[in-house]
Amino acid sequence: MITCRVCNNQEYQGILFCGECGSQLAFVTDQRVDTLVYPNQNRGLEVDFTQTIPKKLLEESTFILYSTERDEVIEIPEQNEFTIGRFVEGQVITPDVDLNHYEAYDMGISRLHATIRINSKKNKVFVIDLGSANGSSVNGYEIPANSEVPLNHGDVLSLGKFKMKVILPKDMK
Amino acid sequence: MPDRTDFYRRLNINTGASEEAIKKAYRLAVRKAHPDVNKSEGATQLFLDIQEAYKILSDPNQKGNYDDGRDPHDSSSGILTSLQYSQTALLRIKEPQIIYSLVDIVSTKDEEQKSADLPLNISLVLDNSTSMKGPRLDILRAATKEIINDLGKDDLVSVVSFNDRAKVLLPSQSQPSEIQIETALNNLYAEGGTEIFQGIEAGYEEIRKHPTLNYVNHIILITDGHTYGDEDNCFDLANNAADQDIGISGLGIGIEWNDEFVDQLCALTGGQSLFIHDLEQVKEFLEHSIASLKEAFSRRLTLEVIPAPGIMMLSAFRILPEAIPLPLQEKYSLGILKKHQPHRVLFEFLVDPVPEKIDRVVIASGEYVIKKKIRDQNIPFTLERMMDSDPESLEPPAPEIFKAISHLTFYRLQEKAQRDIASGNPGTAYQRLLNLSSHLMAKGEDALAKIAMNEANYIKSHNNFSPTGKKQLKYGTMRLLLPDNI
Repeated sequence: MITCRVCNNQEYQGILFCGECGSQLAFVTDQRVDTLVYPNQNRGLEVDFTQTIPKKLLEESTFILYSTERDEVIEIPEQNEFTIGRFVEGQVITPDVDLNHYEAYDMGISRLHATIRINSKKNKVFVIDLGSANGSSVNGYEIPANSEVPLNHGDVLSLGKFKMKVILPKDMK
Repeated sequence: MPDRTDFYRRLNINTGASEEAIKKAYRLAVRKAHPDVNKSEGATQLFLDIQEAYKILSDPNQKGNYDDGRDPHDSSSGILTSLQYSQTALLRIKEPQIIYSLVDIVSTKDEEQKSADLPLNISLVLDNSTSMKGPRLDILRAATKEIINDLGKDDLVSVVSFNDRAKVLLPSQSQPSEIQIETALNNLYAEGGTEIFQGIEAGYEEIRKHPTLNYVNHIILITDGHTYGDEDNCFDLANNAADQDIGISGLGIGIEWNDEFVDQLCALTGGQSLFIHDLEQVKEFLEHSIASLKEAFSRRLTLEVIPAPGIMMLSAFRILPEAIPLPLQEKYSLGILKKHQPHRVLFEFLVDPVPEKIDRVVIASGEYVIKKKIRDQNIPFTLERMMDSDPESLEPPAPEIFKAISHLTFYRLQEKAQRDIASGNPGTAYQRLLNLSSHLMAKGEDALAKIAMNEANYIKSHNNFSPTGKKQLKYGTMRLLLPDNI
């Protein structure tokens, strides 16, 4: 399978253009034919976070979630799997990461919105939408509920209207 | 040119021998010449010669070519096919892969000169439901009149109007008089609903009054509405029409008409459906339709494609002479084959992992049948690729097929955006149209890019396509598929 660099969609070997976002997958050198075109508006949010993220964090962690609106790192626990959502008084199962600090209710974040799964050995991160009310999307593409979707460095993950930049420090070089 | 009696002499029979006689002569000749029996020098060659002669003479098509003095080995004489692929070879990998194939067929000048032009048998099927009232009918009347006057002396024409019932305004005939046309069109006034089946059935019956073998037969449907409940009857009729070499093409006026239905209806016969925004284009459409039918080399072309085991056809899209998505099936009715103009189809196949031992993979076998006045012509072809384990050694796809696939991707994006809306994901549809717009912009298709952008914004605020935008995008991206945007 080939993974589209723009929207993470998986396509069969031999496919020339991503069926989801239309980006060219195969590299064609022939100048008469075409040039590589990647739409950039869905990634957007290109920010310089080298100043705002502590150096130590960039060196040590596998995965950082960054709020571009507040220009700050979102606190996440040091475990390989955790849930993200909005804490409400009296809730039985609470999310590991509570986004109330980011006006979670107004942003349309569900109580248990998504799970993040990290494989530090392989340096791979996945997001699973837990059937949230307002859905999740990666780079502007709605993702299906209850299935693993890979996240790449630079992706924009949205839970409801809340946008986060995915940073994989090991992929930065 | 081969000696026309040679094959008959090899079997020791006269030209014009019956099928039975040929079979008998072959058995006799083979028994004498078989290398196990005949030990003389040259026996093997003799045996092979007999085999060859029988192979040709026992096949009615090849025999026909041979009798006419054409090269019997080249059963496609006068017709050229060309096969292009998205990859020079299939990759030896343990997962499924995709390969595209562009299949072209074109008649040569020599072949065209040999066959006489076929006259047309046209039925104009016009919607006269209440919604057509006013300028729409006026323009339609004027355009119809001009078209009829432009037809040749051997061409047949009939005019049918329909609302919830059909009325034959002008029965099928050649060169109707001025008064006949005038009277017929005066009877075209707006009333009632839209039942397309009524209309095309009446048109079909008019065409069938004359032997379809002698004409290029075509129903031209012009409508501005939705038909309800008779869709299946329409599809059955379209299949029947295709079997009898009658094509259907459609023109939708305004924004109300059901484009998906008309597309599907026309595609069954290999015909095209079009959308016009501007009423004045009606005449242009009619002129274009008639002109293109006049260029027919064959009144009908069919194509059969059977994927090999382990291979699945994912999609088929006809690119020339008109761009239309084809339904997934094994046998296609492709409408007329034009002179000098290739007929081109783009196929997409999913190939399962290929066993180690196999070096050459047959992807699919296919056959074109060109319907001609005297004898049908069959042109078989095989889609196949070698295996290669080194992805680096593959050459990039040729510009022609690359472009076709690129444009197909655009068509698919708008199609997916429609599906997003249908399944309640306007956000995804919005993003998709933005992407489509930026891809179109990069290809220099500014006008269409702008439409896609406007549509994306419309969806953002209305959660649905605008009334015209959906059709504009669909037919716009479809038109891009035509080489050089004819």
